[in-house]
Amino acid sequence: MPATAAVAPPPSAPEQLAARLSSDDSSESLLPTLREIKNQIIGNRTKKLVYLRLHAVPRIVALLSSPSSPPPVIVQAVAAVGSFACGVEEGVRAVLDASAVSHLTVLLSHPDAKVVDSAARSLRIIFQSKLAPKYDFLLEENKTFLLSLLNSTNENITELAASIIAHSCEKPAEQTSLCDAGVIQKLVSLLGGPSNQRDTSLDAISAIVKNNPEVATKFVSISNGKAFNSLMGLMQDRYPRTRLLACVCLISIEQAFPLYFQEMQIKTKLILILLDLIEEAGRVGDEAPFVLKGLIGESEELHRQALSVTAAERLCGYLRKGKALLEARRLEGILLVLAELGSKLEQSRAQLIELQVPSLIIDLLKNDCAQVRIAACNVIKNISRSLKNLCAGRFGTESIVMPLVQLLCDSSTSVQTAALDAICNVAVNLTTKKSVLLQSGGVSILCQLTRSMHSEVRLKSVRALRNLMFLLDRKDKDLIFTELTVSTLTSLISDPDPLVQEQALALAGNFVDGCGVSTKFIFSEDISIIEAVSRQLKGASSPGMCIQGMFFLANMAAENESHKDAVMDCILPTSLDIGISPPNSLVNFLQSKERLLRLSTLWCLVNLVNPEQRNSLRVSALQGAGIISQLKTMVNDPCLDCKLRVRMVLERCLENRE
Amino acid sequence: MNKLIMNFLVTEGYVDAAEKFRLESGTEPDIDLATITDRMAVKMAVQSGNVQDAIEKINDLNPEILDTNPELYFHLQQQKLIELIRMGKIEEALEFAQDELAPRGEENPAFLEEIEKTVALLAFDDVKNSPYGGLLDMSQRMKTASEVNAAILTSQSHEKDPKLPSLLKMLIWAQNQLDEKAVYPRINDLSTAKLEEPAV
Repeated sequence: MPATAAVAPPPSAPEQLAARLSSDDSSESLLPTLREIKNQIIGNRTKKLVYLRLHAVPRIVALLSSPSSPPPVIVQAVAAVGSFACGVEEGVRAVLDASAVSHLTVLLSHPDAKVVDSAARSLRIIFQSKLAPKYDFLLEENKTFLLSLLNSTNENITELAASIIAHSCEKPAEQTSLCDAGVIQKLVSLLGGPSNQRDTSLDAISAIVKNNPEVATKFVSISNGKAFNSLMGLMQDRYPRTRLLACVCLISIEQAFPLYFQEMQIKTKLILILLDLIEEAGRVGDEAPFVLKGLIGESEELHRQALSVTAAERLCGYLRKGKALLEARRLEGILLVLAELGSKLEQSRAQLIELQVPSLIIDLLKNDCAQVRIAACNVIKNISRSLKNLCAGRFGTESIVMPLVQLLCDSSTSVQTAALDAICNVAVNLTTKKSVLLQSGGVSILCQLTRSMHSEVRLKSVRALRNLMFLLDRKDKDLIFTELTVSTLTSLISDPDPLVQEQALALAGNFVDGCGVSTKFIFSEDISIIEAVSRQLKGASSPGMCIQGMFFLANMAAENESHKDAVMDCILPTSLDIGISPPNSLVNFLQSKERLLRLSTLWCLVNLVNPEQRNSLRVSALQGAGIISQLKTMVNDPCLDCKLRVRMVLERCLENRE
Repeated sequence: MNKLIMNFLVTEGYVDAAEKFRLESGTEPDIDLATITDRMAVKMAVQSGNVQDAIEKINDLNPEILDTNPELYFHLQQQKLIELIRMGKIEEALEFAQDELAPRGEENPAFLEEIEKTVALLAFDDVKNSPYGGLLDMSQRMKTASEVNAAILTSQSHEKDPKLPSLLKMLIWAQNQLDEKAVYPRINDLSTAKLEEPAV
């Protein structure tokens, strides 16, 4: 016969309990009330919200700060306040608004040990929230108080002190001040304590060392390197969380003091340990890939090292085994590591492609979590930087392009821009096959996106069209242009964002690159495109824009006479400019330090003076604008390509004279 | 060896045995024996089906445990519902399921399946023989009790599993591995740990 349960009294309704808090009842009834509220809310988010709406928090804080409250009442009130602040943002706000932090701090010096313990615990919970106030370490009295907490024999209190440091210590002045006060040594001594205290101390040390070379240098010399060795030991602690925090701490030191880590040994160890931790259950495994990304980020050397210890194989193997079961955060982290690995080195990309990463992650483009979709796009964007594989058409397949095109209609703008980044690369078609983008409805969506409110979306969609337009055949170019429309391109060339203008000019340049075939779109009745280009060239401040503008004109000038005339009108000063020297004259461009600007201008001139009939008029016009004299000063241009074009132009001008 | 035994007694919660062992062997426990008593009280409450009492005791011991262990809190609430059903208090059980268990499902969809199974018990007259009747077994109480014990140990920075069983498992595994490669004196009876010479 199973043991029977005792019959508990039914719980009181929150409204009744909250009302009892404000009455003038003695502590005899307050104690059970507080205890019951506390027991109702702990672990129960729904109940916390109920009591928050009943404004229970200010009343409870009033009780814990009242001098007439006996210790048992205070203990219950403090525990309740801590619970409100645990994992519920509204709760943290209510607790902070009721000035609980200052009252709880006072209670740290209460004669009753249970009160002190309780207050330390609740304060620590509050300081785990991002919303908690930053502790000002530079105030002398604050620093003294913190040091007294750190020197306490009570583990709850030392752990509180470490949490405050981990939460609040950010500025270099604070870091140095704490370091000088011997806080690091104290935290290192706490590393030998119980695991919770150890973990919080590791967090605190990371906060003090982060981005601070001076403090990092001091750390490694503490006790002749013993402190550093303790950290190295903790990298192999039995608890995964401790191992992760030790790695984070070491990485903070490495990034502040890289010279100390010149040999690869420690960094390799970190990579291997983090790869192991990625397979741990719970939050440790979820956070580990982000830590790994932080370690290897931006460093070709570390990318190589990671590859040499089979990081890519391990991550792919792990994904293959169970990506359906992984938490979104962990998936995102792993994808970001793969994206990072593919970001710089061709050998990395080659390896990732060999491991079939694109097909492995394709379904993640449809994942429920936006961050995962973005990370998957980043992987494709980075791997598709591989020219060799672009040429082999490895990224132009339907299986890769179609899901990306679908993401262009995603509800999240960040996902759209990430997909656009990937499409920018896969749009570069160096094969003889027709691009899938042309058949997938991708073009109309891209053209629609060029009219977006968000400048980043406009920028990337124009860039994608630019890449798509590259070396496309005439018929397809015309189709895209019809979809885009003259007026859209004109307004993009005059877009408020200079980066968009630059890409739009480049798009126009790619469109006109047709080697002699008439481009009816540029010469519709409305010659707004040429006028827009002309305006931009005259007023543009960024060399990038001028370069694209000149390449556009250079391509135009490669076509027939009427095109050349139009270009001449564009580049030479008009009657309105006489007497004023415009900031961006052709002569300025030729004198520019930017090699590409000189080169694009020179190509324009080469095409203008191409052996044809009406050249002499053009040559005189160029002479009149001082261009020929400028060219004569450029015969020894440091750039070989420029030098050759200068000579070409001058030769043709001379031929014309004769 | 003594440390292993003490570790086992302390982790499993045998306070009196641990105290006696400490006196007889001079081995110091790695945890304050007073905290073991509190922990055992909680475990006993769950094993007896007094879930509310267990919850209150855990919160007195350390109010953070249930706030930071949503799965444990859910299992305790689930156990509470099971106990109400066992006692035949169907109306109270229904109310409890609606007021307390449903919100857990909203807060965390991973619990929905378990909630469905437990609430399904209410649909049957003969609960014990229903598809999820196993939830009424004592083993379910033991499972929850074990979870509670582990959570309290972890919050006290103590390992939740005693070392002794893992060591024994390793011994068995090591012997199995060796069996394939060599002939050697083997421990066949773990309770005596006698090394038996291989048969000639």
